[in-house]
Amino acid sequence: MGTLFQSLIHSALSGIWFIKPPQDVSLDGYRIDKVIHYTDTVVAIYMAVVVLSLVYFIVRYRARPGHKAVYERGDKKIYIVATVVLGFTVFFSIDAVIEAMAFKDLKEAFWNFPKGANVVRVEVMPQQFAWNIRYAGPDGYFATDDDIIAPQNQMHIPVDTPVVVQMAPMDVIHTFYIPHFRIKQDATPGMITSFWFQAKESGKFEIACAELCGNGHYRMRGFLTVDSPEDFRAWLEELRQEQEETDDWSDWGEEEDDSGVPQDWGWPWNKKI
Amino acid sequence: MSDGTAHKQSFITKYIFSTDHKMIGIQFLWFGTFWLLWGGLQAMLIRWQLAYSGQPVPIIGKLLFGASDGIITPDIYNQIFTMHGTIMIFWAVTPLLSGAFANFVIPLQIGARDMAFPVLNMFSFWTFFLSGVILLASHFLPAGPAAAGWTSYPPLSTPVGGIAGHGQALWALSLTLMGIAVIMGAINYVTTVIRMRAPGMGYFQMPLTVWGIWLAAILNAVFVPIIAAGLIFLLLENVFGTQFFIAGSKATVEGGDPLLYQHVFWIFGHPEVYILILPIWGIVSDLLSVFSRKPAFGYRVTATCMCIITCLSAIVWGHHMYTTGMSPLLGKAFMFLTLLISIPSSVFFLNWLGTLWKGSLQLRAPMLFALSVVFVFGIGGLTGLYLATVTSDIYLHDSMFVVGHFHYTLAASVLMGSYAALYFWFPKMFGKMLNPLLGKIHFWGTFIPLNIVFYNMMVTGYAGQHRRLYDPYIYEFLQNLKPLNTQISWWAWLLGAAQVVLVVNLIWSLMKGKKAERNPWNAATIEWTVDYPIPHGNFAQMPTVYTGPHEYSNPAIQGRDWISQTEKLTAAS
Ligand SMILES: [Cu+2]
Ligand SMILES: [Cu+2]
Repeated sequence: MGTLFQSLIHSALSGIWFIKPPQDVSLDGYRIDKVIHYTDTVVAIYMAVVVLSLVYFIVRYRARPGHKAVYERGDKKIYIVATVVLGFTVFFSIDAVIEAMAFKDLKEAFWNFPKGANVVRVEVMPQQFAWNIRYAGPDGYFATDDDIIAPQNQMHIPVDTPVVVQMAPMDVIHTFYIPHFRIKQDATPGMITSFWFQAKESGKFEIACAELCGNGHYRMRGFLTVDSPEDFRAWLEELRQEQEETDDWSDWGEEEDDSGVPQDWGWPWNKKI
Repeated sequence: MSDGTAHKQSFITKYIFSTDHKMIGIQFLWFGTFWLLWGGLQAMLIRWQLAYSGQPVPIIGKLLFGASDGIITPDIYNQIFTMHGTIMIFWAVTPLLSGAFANFVIPLQIGARDMAFPVLNMFSFWTFFLSGVILLASHFLPAGPAAAGWTSYPPLSTPVGGIAGHGQALWALSLTLMGIAVIMGAINYVTTVIRMRAPGMGYFQMPLTVWGIWLAAILNAVFVPIIAAGLIFLLLENVFGTQFFIAGSKATVEGGDPLLYQHVFWIFGHPEVYILILPIWGIVSDLLSVFSRKPAFGYRVTATCMCIITCLSAIVWGHHMYTTGMSPLLGKAFMFLTLLISIPSSVFFLNWLGTLWKGSLQLRAPMLFALSVVFVFGIGGLTGLYLATVTSDIYLHDSMFVVGHFHYTLAASVLMGSYAALYFWFPKMFGKMLNPLLGKIHFWGTFIPLNIVFYNMMVTGYAGQHRRLYDPYIYEFLQNLKPLNTQISWWAWLLGAAQVVLVVNLIWSLMKGKKAERNPWNAATIEWTVDYPIPHGNFAQMPTVYTGPHEYSNPAIQGRDWISQTEKLTAAS
């Protein structure tokens, strides 16, 4: 009972101090962390003001013999002006600031898709309950015979290189989520959605599905391996040779090969989004 | 409309098919309480799975999940959290606020004999009841109830989604019926408030409780039909195989769109947040005034802010859809509009604090609960900022942070506010006082665990835990959260156990409680001018209103510190 009690008290306090988000290894994830930290600070200040006034009022104005309430309707102009001014103060100290930060980050990073020869393009087709991943192959075009299909749930990208992903799911809505990159994007049937990111460290990271997609939602786990550019190219090349040897494309059009992994998906890269 | 004279009623017309708003309110109260306990039990089961993943549930496990030896399977887990969300929002909180308190309080507080449409009112309850029976029945389907989350996004919630059985169809059917019941109620409340106020009661003489319930009813009347349309489409998908919301490779016809459902759902879904919270804002505003013995600070400004928020709530639904790949222009617009809500919210929040300022605070049970709403709604409101912001929402969307946040606004604020209302009006509803000591134990037993649970849910979300995971710990980046999640669960069970105190208090007070005086709180609103039991028709003599709803500590009053709305300020001295 003693330890249970201690751990209950511990949990009451542990949150803020001991638990942190996964380490950010992306180029732009710091922007999200920054907005969150700014919001944390201002929210903490306002909440402190609320709690202190509540405690003060409860102690100072609690009913007791000899203490009387003051008849104050708070409808004088001065009070109305004061509360409205304070309302705008809240807006300009939090909302306007985080909005400005967010707009700037969206414009500079998240909605500013990289163009250029070094960009790595990936197509992702989530399905119940796995991630299918495809690269364009030597011709540079998607949905052609030389597309390179990664082993299911295995995404590789080179470090320090912008990566653009386009997604369309096979069955229901899934959400591509890599906590170490602060990335989350829905994949909705009938449309192609996209996002981009860039890794600044090598390593192997987990991909999760964040949108409920059925009873296997919780185990829809993939891996993102960030390699050096050389290793990445070598990995792609090895896959390409393997597929050249084993694949005869005569069964193109059939739903699945015997591995249970769908093959005939992919779409011409959508340049409009 | 009743003429107010006593007339003979049989048991059936008095207690079952009653058209008396007070009896219908009490029916809704027990109906909502039943579902609150049911949904609460499901929350306890969710916490079991998150703490002791895959181990059989002790004591009740074999009874509930016999087929799996008491173990919660992934299918069962999805069913439980789907039903928990659905039930708490639509069958617990909605009947309590827009059923029980709305019905009991509106006519009494505006000085009306009954609702504008008493028979419609009765139909509203029984339609609601029927929807509940269907929902309850769906729990006993061979393949179990719905399992696509309380939002039930298609295509998952359609036949192509792979969820076995007919749970989704019954879910859509019961929600549609529930929507019809809510619309009937809403039309009644809106009409009653507009048409049936006592002489002298202008809009700005109405208690803020009535303001809140009325604005919520307007939102219900406008937006529930939209979700009802969406639900009927979803029902057609499940029963007749239509494809309104199906696209991509699973679609056999063109033109379906899963996003359409999300828009329809959230056009209703965001106002729904305010449908649940507006009555609470009103109730808390009034209660703070009663128990501070002071008028509600800036009454007109508070009412105006509530109106502004009601309007804004209709145009911000897109903030639930930032990660769908929405166009940048829309994303920005929805973010700006959402953040605008801060201004009126801050103003009326300050008015709450203004009411306490220089008051004489009586810390009786309803006041404790009302004060706690100020605290938990402060947290709930402020943490919404993270989710209104497109960039931080990218990281926090669909995470336990969202779950913690909306439990602060919907579960914590609404639950504590409903309890405040229950302790406050119980004497008028049943003629007995609730035991104050048990009330205080119930308060602290609820307030402390509730904060620890919901706060730490936000922490786990911030640490990366996404929603609706049967077993989060298969992910390496979540393994460090197992101890915290286990502790959250223990606190959640404490929170659940504390509700037993309320049940005991309800039963004990109904049987042996102290008889309530006519006006035990010395409150100024009209419902406290009539004696229990209030007859069908409410008032022997129709009241006339002379003053505002919060005349407390007016120096012109002598001998006591309040006058009723039906008294003239001069006559009271
Ligand atoms: Cu999923
Ligand atoms: Cu919302």
